[in-house]
Amino acid sequence: MQTAIDLHSDAPHRGPAVATASLRAENVHKTLGTHPVLRGVSLAAYPHEVISVLGASGSGKSTLLRCLNLLEVPDSGDIWFRNEKLDIRPAAGRDGARIGDARQARRVRASLGMVFQSFNLWPHKTALENVMEGPVHVRGLARRTAVECAKHYLRKVGLIERRDHYPRHLSGGQQQRVAIARALAMEPEVLLFDEPTSALDPELTGEVLRTIRSLAEEGRTMILVTHELSFAREVSSRVAFMQGGRIEEEGPPEEVLSRPASAGLRRFLDPAC
Amino acid sequence: MNIALITESIATLLGGVVLTLELTILSLLIGFVLSVPLAFLRASRSPWLSWPVLAYTYVFRGTPLLVQLFLIYYGLGQLAVVRESVLWLLFRDPFYCALLAFSLNSAAYTIEVFRGGIQSVPPGLVEAAQAIGLSPTKIRLRIVFPLAFRTVLPSYANEVVGMIKASSLASTVTLLEITGLARKLVSETFAPYEVFVAAGAIYLALTFLASRLFNLIELHLAGVPPDKARRPWLLKLRQAR
Amino acid sequence: MGGFQEQFLRGLETTVLVAAISGAFGMLVGLAGAAAKLSRFRALRMIADAYTTIVRGVPELLVILLVYFGGTTALTALVGSYVEVSALWAGVFSLTVVFGAYATEIFRGAIQAIPRGQTEAALSIGLAPWQTWLLVILPQMARIALPALCNLWISLLKDTSLISIVGLSDIMRIAVVGAGSMRDPLTFYLAASALYLMLTSVSLLTFRLVERRLLAPVH
Repeated sequence: MQTAIDLHSDAPHRGPAVATASLRAENVHKTLGTHPVLRGVSLAAYPHEVISVLGASGSGKSTLLRCLNLLEVPDSGDIWFRNEKLDIRPAAGRDGARIGDARQARRVRASLGMVFQSFNLWPHKTALENVMEGPVHVRGLARRTAVECAKHYLRKVGLIERRDHYPRHLSGGQQQRVAIARALAMEPEVLLFDEPTSALDPELTGEVLRTIRSLAEEGRTMILVTHELSFAREVSSRVAFMQGGRIEEEGPPEEVLSRPASAGLRRFLDPAC
Repeated sequence: MNIALITESIATLLGGVVLTLELTILSLLIGFVLSVPLAFLRASRSPWLSWPVLAYTYVFRGTPLLVQLFLIYYGLGQLAVVRESVLWLLFRDPFYCALLAFSLNSAAYTIEVFRGGIQSVPPGLVEAAQAIGLSPTKIRLRIVFPLAFRTVLPSYANEVVGMIKASSLASTVTLLEITGLARKLVSETFAPYEVFVAAGAIYLALTFLASRLFNLIELHLAGVPPDKARRPWLLKLRQAR
Repeated sequence: MGGFQEQFLRGLETTVLVAAISGAFGMLVGLAGAAAKLSRFRALRMIADAYTTIVRGVPELLVILLVYFGGTTALTALVGSYVEVSALWAGVFSLTVVFGAYATEIFRGAIQAIPRGQTEAALSIGLAPWQTWLLVILPQMARIALPALCNLWISLLKDTSLISIVGLSDIMRIAVVGAGSMRDPLTFYLAASALYLMLTSVSLLTFRLVERRLLAPVH
């Protein structure tokens, strides 16, 4: 197990007292079909950091996020959760890799809250039941406690009044906030957001971004894949720009976004030029 | 046609309704229990898991139920292993032979119905369940199957109606359910029209009730807006359990 | 199997014959039924509704028993001396009625799945209503209805076994007779199963091929 002080070059802005990243990808490669989506990506999120991953569509940023909680299994490279390396093994009889230890994967996933682009609320459960599912069936809370827990987080995202509504009776923005409450109810170490506002009508993105901002202000560790540039600049402690399956630039938002070093990022920031 | 005779026949034939329902409901229950795990195997991407189940559903859906019933009723006794085991206590009895044939047959159809439903569940909903760390079994039972069942409810309703009708084949192995009683009554009264029409009326009532029941379930699951019905009765039932 | 091979072959012929005739007539009944269901006339719609609701809600076996024994009684009363309806024609009639009821629903659904604009487009270029049906509606309907018709045909093949109960010498009947006389039910019913499985497999493959042919030019 890794206990020594982390000297990895990926963490230029961690606080001096913090030794271990909450979540880290190391030299991750992933090919989907015949297309190499990730070509050696390393990224670490230290406690209380908010990292925004930017990039054009197809740059591999969503795949990177999905590799972090093993929804996609990296072909090579390592994923570390705190100082625990996730068990990834070569798949038998085909290319790629598979999850080696399903229990570990489940346990780690339970500590990583994931919010999807298309919400993925379970349509046969009410808002409250969606949020309760994890607390009851993964965390093993008593039903009564789980109800309280779920209500707490629904209140937090401002949807306590809608707890008995089914997803189809909620607007997109409300569904996404329920999905955020569902992730929060697991009381995760790290929150992963996969383009949380991309499926929303422009007038609905505000409510979701406000919710995410308030979480950032609480000091939660978050990795956010997004297209919302100004939002990323505002809430992030660090941004990473991806292109062609690699991280091109990484650093504090004011630096990276104001003085882009690479031509790729310059084009991304100002498509007109 | 003699109306009085029809009503008289209906009264007699109602005596067979219990056996018809018994066979139908038990077969559906056994078929359901068998088909849920097998449907997941059938929907699996691994051919080692999927093909054996496909072979089962293919054979049972590709041959007449009557042949399956006779194979079990007349054929099982030919096997020494069966005749000399405790199983013989069961399969000597036409009721259990019919029950076995109907259950296996119903399971075969139900597996394919459920498989379709399972494969229609959007992958994102499964990923959301994986992302909170839900175990594979719980994902199947709490997320995938309930959603699959909802999608295929109309097809499953057809399967239920089909089973009510198929239970009439029990009359060919001496069981006196509705059709069996009807055939007996015809041989006594020589009034085939009246008796069979009466039997038909009873079946029609049963199948109508079954489809109605499923329509109601469908409406409930389709969801009345929550302000109008905060807790559908089905959910209440589920939570009471 | 003591000379039963040849009998099985004849049984196979009978099974296929009965299914083919019932299927052909049943298609016609289904087309008429669908037309009636979509007709402007309320009486026609009600008759067609009653027909499909009743037939689909009653066991196929019961329909066969009713037609066979009821038909015999009716004919006997008509002629004045005992006349027995042939199992074959009673079976064909029953299964036509059953097939027709399901086919009605399939065709109705398929016709309704064709966008309304298709008819309008056909009429707008001056096709007569019958031409619209023949050239525009029917070909599209056939494509949509094909998978369901395949299933219905396979049900029909299997349902023919029920006619053996009133004495038709089909595959099933030969198996019953053979099983009894040779005291070997396992062999005979397994042989029957194999024959039915062969018929349903050939049907499935044929429909696959037809489907591929029909669907190919669309995309």
